[in-house]
Amino acid sequence: MNEKRVILVIEDEKTISNFICRALTANDYKAIPAFSGKEGLSLFFSHGPDLILLDLGLPDMDGMEILKEVSGLPQETPVIIISARDRESEKVKALDMGADDYIVKPFGVSELLARIRTTLRRSDRLKLSQGSQKDVYHIKDLTVDIAKHQVLLNGEEIHFTQNEFKILELLCIHAGKVLTYDFILEHVWGPYGGTSNQILRVNMANIRRKLKENPSDPKYVLTELGIGYRMLED
Amino acid sequence: MSKLLMRLYHAVSKALGVLPPVPRNLVITLVFLCIAYVVSSILLGHTGAENNSALVFVLAVVFISFLTDGYAYGIAASLVGAFCINYYFMFPYRVFSLSYAGYPVAMVSMVFISWMVCALTSRVKLQAMEAIKREQNTKALYELNARLNEEKNAIQLEADREAIRGNILRAVSHDLRTPLTAISGAATVLLSAEEVKNSEKNLSLVQDIKSDADSLIAMVENLLSITKIRDGTMPLNKQEEMLEEVAGDALLTIRRRFPTYHISLDLSEDILYLPMEPMLIKQVIVNLLENAIRHSGDHDHIRLHLFRQDDWAVVEVRDRGKGISPEVRQAVQSGRPLSTRLSDDSSRGMGIGLSVCQSIIKAHNGFFAAGNDPEGGAVFRFGLPMEETNDE
Repeated sequence: MNEKRVILVIEDEKTISNFICRALTANDYKAIPAFSGKEGLSLFFSHGPDLILLDLGLPDMDGMEILKEVSGLPQETPVIIISARDRESEKVKALDMGADDYIVKPFGVSELLARIRTTLRRSDRLKLSQGSQKDVYHIKDLTVDIAKHQVLLNGEEIHFTQNEFKILELLCIHAGKVLTYDFILEHVWGPYGGTSNQILRVNMANIRRKLKENPSDPKYVLTELGIGYRMLED
Repeated sequence: MSKLLMRLYHAVSKALGVLPPVPRNLVITLVFLCIAYVVSSILLGHTGAENNSALVFVLAVVFISFLTDGYAYGIAASLVGAFCINYYFMFPYRVFSLSYAGYPVAMVSMVFISWMVCALTSRVKLQAMEAIKREQNTKALYELNARLNEEKNAIQLEADREAIRGNILRAVSHDLRTPLTAISGAATVLLSAEEVKNSEKNLSLVQDIKSDADSLIAMVENLLSITKIRDGTMPLNKQEEMLEEVAGDALLTIRRRFPTYHISLDLSEDILYLPMEPMLIKQVIVNLLENAIRHSGDHDHIRLHLFRQDDWAVVEVRDRGKGISPEVRQAVQSGRPLSTRLSDDSSRGMGIGLSVCQSIIKAHNGFFAAGNDPEGGAVFRFGLPMEETNDE
């Protein structure tokens, strides 16, 4: 069948790198470990991986540097950040700088694999669509029709306010990706909207209620605590 | 010289210190007058009329005025001395006579000299006393200073020690986190490996490794939170958050760790948007849910309820299990750190988790309560102020 997807694992902790690579191999990926930033960059250029797992705390260089180097390239290789819990600002910065997702230490294997799957699917979709946007999004039982400005849940129309719809639309366009609060605020209310976080949060709470979301088992919108929101994919 | 006198003064006041001042001064006066009398008598035997009894008495007066308090005794002694000299040691002996030429002059000048000496010694004494007092004050000040310095150092040392303890704990926790993540991850990889899956014995061993590593990870997270709060060096990193999002995230974490348990969630109609450090509040909710799962014995009726009560955003965790012991309830109520060695077997291990909850809630100026529902089951409840409070 098709070729194995190649994942570059830039992580200096040998034990972590080891189990990640084993888990990836067991799940039909090809894993390339790199134990330093320099090694990571050179392996990136020689192997052209489909995805990069990047630890921000590397011994020889700042993980952000690698992110900067990689994210501007035409390959548009998606990057998932591996970070420590108590560094929210770092995560937000990395996401705003072009990282596709992040995972927090300590993390579980299934969580990691789920994020890799989502990110790869998203990146494939983006490459296929070549930047052109869809008019209608189908996510589980939800249908969002951008042109008609219409939302259907199980075929039933739900009314959303203007801003709620804009948020939903934004989340659909970037389904699978974490959108930071600032990103959403800027795209819905404009760069100089001067809108406070609270309005976004309240809108989000309303959206969740209208979608009849169960917070312990969200079907559509996932909260990334202290960072932003993410629309789940099919 | 004055030092020698002062030493004498102190020796005498020490020796006669038991007496009240008036008898002591009288005793000193009498003793020195007697000494002067005896010395003059001896001198009289050797030198006859040309004796120096006047000088001997003046010397006695010097001593007396020096060793007694005030002028009075010295002046009295000089008068008595003048009389004695005239009566005992001047011709005609044993008669008080002023008829000889020069006698009145001699007596008056002796009394006058004595008084002068009295005045001078008193001044010297005063100065010496002041000098001593100054010296004592300086010494006391110096000692006080030294003690204060010592105390300051002790406090500083204690603070340093506390900071070091926090740093070590944090460093250890950080260093534990990486290998534990690796252990848990490696165990997960093994769990899906054919060699392990096909052997029931191996499978259960690896499952144990995984679940213990996961508990340790949870404990390390707790330790990190508690060092962050207890050492007080890092202020809370508060931001406005939707409580339902935090609670939802906590539920997700719990669901991932305990997939077989069902936990229901009741959201408030009110918007609970308030300042908090979301990761810490999430940890409180995770701990409370984990306690309910591990210690209540109830699988299906654990309930998480968010509501608003006056100016508080309240989170309640309820189960239909066997309830909590009075020990646990009291510890929560009093805000005392919970002993980790509770007698009741079922509450063992609740200690650290609840301690962390207490610390976090306290740092948020919230309240924390626990009790049993009369219809059965335990209720843990905490509230956070809806508005930022500044009485920290």
